[in-house]
Amino acid sequence: MAGAYIRGVGLSCALGEDSESCVSAMQRMQVQPVRLRLDEFDEPLLMPYYRIPDRSELFDAGRFERLLPPVARAAVAQAGLTTAEIRRLPMFIGSSCFSIGLSESRYATALAQQPETAIPMPLCGYQDIAVILQRTLACKGDTYTYNTACTSSANALLAALRMIELGWYRHALVVGAELANRTTLAGFSGLQIVAETLRPFDVARKGLLMGEGIGAVLLSAETDSASRLRVIGGASNCDTWSVTTANPDGNSVAKVLNQVLHQTRVQPQQVRGIKAHGTATPTGDAAEARGLQQVFASLPPVSALKPHLGHTLGACCVNELILYAGALLRGFLPATSGFETPDAALGLYPLKTMDSAPDGYYLLNHFGFGGNNTVLALEKTAP
Amino acid sequence: MQPVNDDAALTSLESSLKDLCREPFRRIDRFIQLALLGSANCAAGRKLRPDCGIYLGSGLGPIGNNIVTQEQLIRDAEIPKPFNFINTLGSSAGFYVARNLGLQGQNFFISRRGASLQAVLSAAMADMLLGFVTQALVGVVEEVALPLDAHRLRQHLSQDILLAEGSHWLLLQSGAGDSRSLDLQRFAEFTALEDFLESAWHTGDRLCCATSMDNRVADTLRQGFAAGTLLDPDGAFHDSLEAAWLAAFAAGSEPGNLFLVDGHRQRGWSLFHLGA
Repeated sequence: MAGAYIRGVGLSCALGEDSESCVSAMQRMQVQPVRLRLDEFDEPLLMPYYRIPDRSELFDAGRFERLLPPVARAAVAQAGLTTAEIRRLPMFIGSSCFSIGLSESRYATALAQQPETAIPMPLCGYQDIAVILQRTLACKGDTYTYNTACTSSANALLAALRMIELGWYRHALVVGAELANRTTLAGFSGLQIVAETLRPFDVARKGLLMGEGIGAVLLSAETDSASRLRVIGGASNCDTWSVTTANPDGNSVAKVLNQVLHQTRVQPQQVRGIKAHGTATPTGDAAEARGLQQVFASLPPVSALKPHLGHTLGACCVNELILYAGALLRGFLPATSGFETPDAALGLYPLKTMDSAPDGYYLLNHFGFGGNNTVLALEKTAP
Repeated sequence: MQPVNDDAALTSLESSLKDLCREPFRRIDRFIQLALLGSANCAAGRKLRPDCGIYLGSGLGPIGNNIVTQEQLIRDAEIPKPFNFINTLGSSAGFYVARNLGLQGQNFFISRRGASLQAVLSAAMADMLLGFVTQALVGVVEEVALPLDAHRLRQHLSQDILLAEGSHWLLLQSGAGDSRSLDLQRFAEFTALEDFLESAWHTGDRLCCATSMDNRVADTLRQGFAAGTLLDPDGAFHDSLEAAWLAAFAAGSEPGNLFLVDGHRQRGWSLFHLGA
């Protein structure tokens, strides 16, 4: 259980544009989604959306170039790496959108200017985020870009952890990045799982609300005097019941939770809190709740963070890890805003108000399209 | 690896899939079909453990489906069809591979543009070395989308380059005595890589330098270690040629070792060694 220490973080999401102000805003439970309206379809698409509070147009093609660098720089600066260490720094990136927004914009412009030569998907592949980050940090390290839907950055972090444990790398930058784009917004709308309010595990839950966010975590094999959080393990499996959701019987969720506990040699009763995936979709929450109940005779406090920043999809692990870790360091477990009326069929009651966060072990759940279930384990130690 | 001729439609994969799939999958795209075909062929006749990991890599991913989805959305101002939207995700292909082969273990989609094979192999080997998996199905899939001139433009390729599709898979297993061995060595310095190659090299071995490597460094290595041993199955291009080289060598019965080198002086060097 060597694990990897969290030595630096950077975050930009609906809660704010640096990690400390994001944790403070979550603590105050003060962020509300904005109202989006997409007029290009026969019937306008209307939905609440948690956007990063920068002043750009939402679909401005230059937002990745502007928003990624400060987040990555913040994580690296906190860790105090040398120039030589940064030059070799490997990057593990998780996203479900990549440069699709930029590709949409370029195709739309080409269609408007010269429709006969316009080529769809003028930008393709998954490298753009890595290219921006490497240019920003003057870095030439290996890159691993994960696209496993909503577990993308969780799986990226898991790989970084394991390669650090193997001694292949001493440090790794893990980045989750999700920005607004038409494909994602219209695509989820077409699936009819977008709700008006986000109510994880509530009897009135009707679906998810999307958000955007860019987070960066600097993991390191070495601790420093400030490192009180260590990722100690994680596991991932594939549930082939449906391409869009885990089996609501919860078996595959229980299996991956048990794998993490076994691997880290942590007993269920030692777990001090759980950061739920909690998308507020009827079947997704059912699978998670039933899986948790199969593993825990008595559930530790559960926090669902998506009502604070929206579902940031492929970036949700890194973004929510930073928020949850920030809360642990301040000594509190986050409340689940939006949860009001328990669903007796689930029997899971996430925290309605903040609770205290003792030292000890914490689990973080992530589930995604494609049957991906990934759970990470975190340890908070005394100063 | 299947070269695609400019004047021909893409070969239908339907009948091959019928023979290889346990159930008739609906609403799948060509990228998923390619992944299903390659993985099923690789696994044929072999016993897979339910927790066998799937490590799928690709430089471009499901490009054909992504084009259809973008046309629906931008050109036609329509909401993408649900299965088109879901299949834009790289992990959808891995889902169908897992379902077809009855697997429930780790299932990752990883890209590193022209070096996706190196990324998925590294991830799989890390998990095997740490004991998280004892079997890993490692594949790289590259799809071609018609028309070919647009596909070349998209990739900034010259219009005279022959394009190819590919679905190249390896089954890695710890302790498989009668199979080729695969090792990954990592070197901080180029001289250490050269020294290792010198000590491990035997007449008849083959050397592949990754397409993403600096040309001058690759030339140095090729000159030092039996020039002309680079494998090039069809002379056609796709984004993950290294996967074609490695899979072709692994599937053949040629004696000797294959060394695949990748890296950069500022990040260090990786050497994948496929043993005799």
